[in-house]
Amino acid sequence: MKKPSNGLNRVFMALVFLFLYAPIVVLIVFSFNAGTSNAVWKGFSFEWYEQLFHNRMIMESVYTTLLVSLLATVIATVVGTFTAIGFYAMRRRTRAPLEAVNNIPMMNADIVTGVSMCLLFVAFFGFWNDFAEWVNNAQDFMTLPSLSMGFGTLLIAHISFNIPYVLLSVSPKLRQMDKNLIDAAQDLGCTWIQAFWKVALPEIKPGIVSGALIAFTMSIDDFVISYFTAGSSTSTLAMAIYSMTKKRVSPVINAVSTLLFITVLVLLVVVNIRDAKQAQAPTKQAADAGEQNSPLKKIALGALACLVIVALIFTGQHGNSNRVVNVCSWGEYIDESLIEEFESQTGITVHYQTTDSNETLYSLLKSGAGDYDVIVPSDYMIARLISEDMLAELDYSAIPNFAHIDSAYQHLSYDPENRYTVPYTWGTLGIIYNESMVDEPITSWSAMFDEKYAGQVLMIRNSRDALGAALLELGYDLNTTDEAEIRAAWQLLSDAKQKGVYQAFVMDEVYGKMEGGNAAIAMYYAGDYLTMLENNEDLRFVVPEEGSNWFVDAMCVLKTAQHKEEAMEWINFIASTQSNLANMDYIYYASPNTDALAEYPDYYFDLYDEELDRELYEIMVTPPEVLERCALYENLPADTLRLYNQLWTQLGI
Amino acid sequence: MKNKLSRFSIPYVIWMALFVVAPIIMVVIYAFSSADGRFTVENFLQMSSYAVVFARSFKLALIATLICLLIGYPISYFISKEGIRFQQVAMVLIMLPMWMNFLLRTYSWMSILENNGLLNQFFQQTGIINLYNSIAAHFAADPTAYEPIAFFQMIDTQGAVVLGMVYNYLPFMILPIYSVIGKMDHSLLEAARDLGANSANVFRRVILPLSLPGVLSGITMVFVPAVSTFAISTMLGGGTKLLLGDLIEQQFLGGSYNPHLGAAISLVMMIIVVVCMLIMNKFGEGEEQAVIL
Repeated sequence: MKKPSNGLNRVFMALVFLFLYAPIVVLIVFSFNAGTSNAVWKGFSFEWYEQLFHNRMIMESVYTTLLVSLLATVIATVVGTFTAIGFYAMRRRTRAPLEAVNNIPMMNADIVTGVSMCLLFVAFFGFWNDFAEWVNNAQDFMTLPSLSMGFGTLLIAHISFNIPYVLLSVSPKLRQMDKNLIDAAQDLGCTWIQAFWKVALPEIKPGIVSGALIAFTMSIDDFVISYFTAGSSTSTLAMAIYSMTKKRVSPVINAVSTLLFITVLVLLVVVNIRDAKQAQAPTKQAADAGEQNSPLKKIALGALACLVIVALIFTGQHGNSNRVVNVCSWGEYIDESLIEEFESQTGITVHYQTTDSNETLYSLLKSGAGDYDVIVPSDYMIARLISEDMLAELDYSAIPNFAHIDSAYQHLSYDPENRYTVPYTWGTLGIIYNESMVDEPITSWSAMFDEKYAGQVLMIRNSRDALGAALLELGYDLNTTDEAEIRAAWQLLSDAKQKGVYQAFVMDEVYGKMEGGNAAIAMYYAGDYLTMLENNEDLRFVVPEEGSNWFVDAMCVLKTAQHKEEAMEWINFIASTQSNLANMDYIYYASPNTDALAEYPDYYFDLYDEELDRELYEIMVTPPEVLERCALYENLPADTLRLYNQLWTQLGI
Repeated sequence: MKNKLSRFSIPYVIWMALFVVAPIIMVVIYAFSSADGRFTVENFLQMSSYAVVFARSFKLALIATLICLLIGYPISYFISKEGIRFQQVAMVLIMLPMWMNFLLRTYSWMSILENNGLLNQFFQQTGIINLYNSIAAHFAADPTAYEPIAFFQMIDTQGAVVLGMVYNYLPFMILPIYSVIGKMDHSLLEAARDLGANSANVFRRVILPLSLPGVLSGITMVFVPAVSTFAISTMLGGGTKLLLGDLIEQQFLGGSYNPHLGAAISLVMMIIVVVCMLIMNKFGEGEEQAVIL
């Protein structure tokens, strides 16, 4: 009855699949790259796969991701299907407004859904915890637990954004179904439950299956909503990947994605081979019998799986009842072996999360989504957090390693009395350029605005740094609050943009573009330049003659921290000379620890059996005469911040 | 009996009240208040300065949806004509790329589309660039003044943004359309043929109207997330021209942290989307076939 599809159809399908799989193939190929780049091939290697199995955080986040996606998919599919049938049975007038509400989560920007759910959870938990305290104080025979965001809230959020997709998939199938079928079934003696089970369900099965597929996909892929609802001790894989963007996405992530992908492919093949064998069953009777059995079996299997999963959740939560510290830092910003070392030394479990920028961190803190103990913000953000009374004073007697911190990194403008911070790293902002693509060495910020390099320049996608470069180019102060000066700097940027100087506005996309020789000039941080240099030897770094920004990232403890004692232990451990050496070697950012700075060349020699290149060392550890022309960012007054944001938005329009 | 079945939706209606309506009320409160908690409409008065961003986002999302439909409908149709095993495998294969993280996939596209990227390297090696240059020089007004290009500019264009949207949302167009076409009552098609309709007529007068609910679902599932998408424009479009999703994200995660303005923009965006959907459903409303609203 069906016409067999012709060759042209097949060609079209092949093209669409080629389109869908081209980037996946690139990704898989580069997961075997010996280098860290996604753009420059350095030879074949299994390095990232080996690292993957030693990376506890990524393995844990994979586990959480699969668990939450599976649970959310099962629940959303069941609820969504029943709801679709319920809606179908309603009169149009009742149904229409409900369906409209159902569509809200789809229409809302993810970030708004995430933040609004977070606000709701925070409000509810605040209320509940007050209530629990009151109840617990009033009587003795039962204690109500205090609640915070975690796996439960993450699951609720995922179910909420999945159900609309299931409904949208199932509803068309219901409408397509012959309306008289259910009535006929009932006339023939079915109860309404039987009518549903035996008649309606098989009719709409394809819709349910595609709804479940979409739900699972949305769950696996979601990042923003998870970010705001997962709390500080739960991370999904997508969260881990996104938060790496302050530094760079580790190729380990390519490896884990490839493994997930191949697992699914293998499963698919196995299931198909098994099905094919069943279909070849010798007698039709046997096949019929098999079909009779299979739904029951499937249900039993599904129920079993659910049970196992639920058991897993509970065992998982009980395992974590010992001492804990919740840390939030930047992606790829720590030698991860330090975490394990700290855990085995102290018996404290570290929940290590990462964000991608100071601003993201701030909004996580403000909305209540980030109930961390230790954070590692940069200078200007520290000043802002102090001024808003969000940081706790540190107990320096519990941090003896603070004595190793060089006096140059104490009592800085963001924390003049040094009561809140222990420096983590420091570095400079400068210009990275490709020697083979410019005709003379670059020494000035003017290169960032020069028409000569039209289409070759990458501007940084961060208002403070971008406007900062323009301010310095015009000879103004980096921390100016003078509106006219800031507007002049904006004009310089805007003119350059109009003239086509900028190829793009980038953050960590800068790696691929500079490493692959796609752009000649970019502004970025010294430590990241050293990483790029490994993949492209033509790159050079300069701190422009007009001066630049130097920054300090420092560890702070939040006022609301639940584990202050553990936080001090963590900070002391990280401030030690050994930890600083390990971090310096891993992330290429300079340490504030006097001994670590002095010992690093020897440490390097012992580790790699070769002399540390003096020039590279000075790029990482900026010498005093260069540092002299650099300034820290200060926290700007609210008016100026607003002006920055307004101008920045205008630039993007 | 129909009324009994409608009870099935009660749990979700309660769920919606808790986790959809309550958060949306939060958004409305935010949109109509200022940082110090007072009522204000100031956030909405600023909206006109973002009109360009609204227009750009809706335009690109519309183009992406159209392309998704033009690719998604035929492929769903072709797949449904294949054997059942092929169909099952094809459906999973269509969703499978989505299980690789969105950011990683977009990074991959970057390394493909870059000026020095894989595609341009391919064009250089196969001589397509040279071929293009000689043709372009031939047709140029002044062939001597023609400057040969070294690569095709693909990244950092609006085309790349649309490509990113199509790539990411195409599966959401294919799935609902396929699930409707795949389960179509074939006796209807036979009847149409028996009654003398040719293939084109069977498609136009039977298959197309019957698949309309799936098409409407697909359009919603592509258009709605495409309007509010973020990160695609910064990664593939060079970040020089913002989309609505980026604008909203900037308000929540950007330098000045203005969730009030962010909430207002997102509210206005939702209202426009709802209006679009209403219009679309009027258009597809045949016999109570509307899927949305």
